[in-house]
Amino acid sequence: MPPVIVADRLSKRYGAHLAVDSVSFEVAAGEVMGLLGPNGSGKTTILRMLTGYLRPSSGTVQVAGLDVTQAGPAARRYIGYVPEDAPLYTQMRVHEFLVFMGRLKGLARSSLHDRITAVCQRLELLPLLRTAIGKLSRGYRQRVAIAQALLNNPPLLILDEPTNGLDPRQIIEIRQLIRTLASTQTILVTSHILSEIEKVAQRAAILLNGRLLGMHVLGESTTTPCLRLTVRGQPPARVQACMLAVAEVLGVSQEETHGAVTAYLVQVQHPHVAEPLAAALVAQGFGVLEIRTVRLDLETVFLQLTRSEAPV
Amino acid sequence: MSSVCTLLGKEITALFASPIAYAVIAVFLLLLGYAFTAFLFLNKTATLVHIFFQAAVLFLLVVPVLTMRQFAEERKSGTLELLLTAPVREFDIVLAKFLACMAVNVLLLALSLTYALVLQAYGQPDWGPIYSGYLGLMLFTGALVALGLTISALTANQIVAATISLGMFLVLWMIDTLGSLLPYPFDNMITSISLLAHFTPFATGAMYLSDVGFFLSVMLLGLFLSVRALARR
Repeated sequence: MPPVIVADRLSKRYGAHLAVDSVSFEVAAGEVMGLLGPNGSGKTTILRMLTGYLRPSSGTVQVAGLDVTQAGPAARRYIGYVPEDAPLYTQMRVHEFLVFMGRLKGLARSSLHDRITAVCQRLELLPLLRTAIGKLSRGYRQRVAIAQALLNNPPLLILDEPTNGLDPRQIIEIRQLIRTLASTQTILVTSHILSEIEKVAQRAAILLNGRLLGMHVLGESTTTPCLRLTVRGQPPARVQACMLAVAEVLGVSQEETHGAVTAYLVQVQHPHVAEPLAAALVAQGFGVLEIRTVRLDLETVFLQLTRSEAPV
Repeated sequence: MSSVCTLLGKEITALFASPIAYAVIAVFLLLLGYAFTAFLFLNKTATLVHIFFQAAVLFLLVVPVLTMRQFAEERKSGTLELLLTAPVREFDIVLAKFLACMAVNVLLLALSLTYALVLQAYGQPDWGPIYSGYLGLMLFTGALVALGLTISALTANQIVAATISLGMFLVLWMIDTLGSLLPYPFDNMITSISLLAHFTPFATGAMYLSDVGFFLSVMLLGLFLSVRALARR
């Protein structure tokens, strides 16, 4: 199946400031992909270019095979978009707003009512259809924003910081909702919170200062195997050199040190390397106090990727 | 076209759901009614020429109040993002807002027709200048609304939008006085962009195609610039 989103060397410049710098990625049909980065890393700008709200300074973006800038409304029919902070017409009632958005999205009057009922049932909004949006809690406003995005059943759903400002219960509900929607829609979701992306996405694109630093596939089976070793011995550089000399050791990074005891994170091709690694250290006279297999999680990847890029 | 109808419905509802439209209508009719009564009792003439000029001046003040919120408020509240990412064209959005503002203006003009009916009931007015006056006011307000929308599309601040629109309208209304101070051909150039100079023939019962063309050109220019202002993002 062709990818739903193809972003090719996407850049956005505001005067001298380069907000997005030549970002390229693809999102496959049925995938949930997360854009992860600190505030100001360019996540929202990328989403705005994907949805046609902003025009790229250079590069192209295709949704369902259509160039978003060139095709305009035709391409936007494939996208359900929930902007950051869920901007809504607060003076409207929920039903009135959904009718308005549904008709803008080209839904026929005959099918509009059924579609609104179906979407509101899914989002548990049916009892609130006659309530003014301005009187809803933030969590329910977020649901209304998601409801309008789903009205024309678009193949692609784009959510910008959907859990921003919600209380813990609302966060869990929205997270659960995204998981449910993932069975029928391709989803692109942004967050500056690692755990949020980790809990809903299958793949994360890590952004910093408008640049795409890397892609990380989430899930137990696809993470890079790592060993955490606690070793007694000095100096740490000699310990690291000893470990790097062992076959199938890809990299060693020093973590914390307490006196002569230092913890190391060792990237290996396979966790079975633990045994020859311990043997090599003992043979060199170092004491191996602890060895355990660890999962190289999104947080570690994020920190590793952003370490050299972070402003001092 | 269905997008325009949907958007127009939402705009008209928004205008009449807020107190703005009612305040504008009340103040407009109160001031115009006062002017009509005063002029009628002082001059005892069955004409609306002065009322047309009075209405034009009131529109200079009223239109910025109507147009200031159109894009500025949507931009500030973030709902412009909802509209511009929906499968509709920028032109549809601009046209719907233009028509919604014009609906209020047409309602104001329709209500002011009572003055013409009063003249008809108690005198023998010449209907030619009345028709041309109303046509002139329609074209005049259309041009003002289009320009006001352009300013609103350029800012997220309603007060800034209203202030700039008002300033621009007043300058364009009065600029022919500056023309009389300038040498040829600058005097003609300045007078040719004066709203007052192009409106006066309508109010006095003389219609020229050039004046119709002027107001239609300003209207189209304003709508075009509004679309460009939205597309510039």
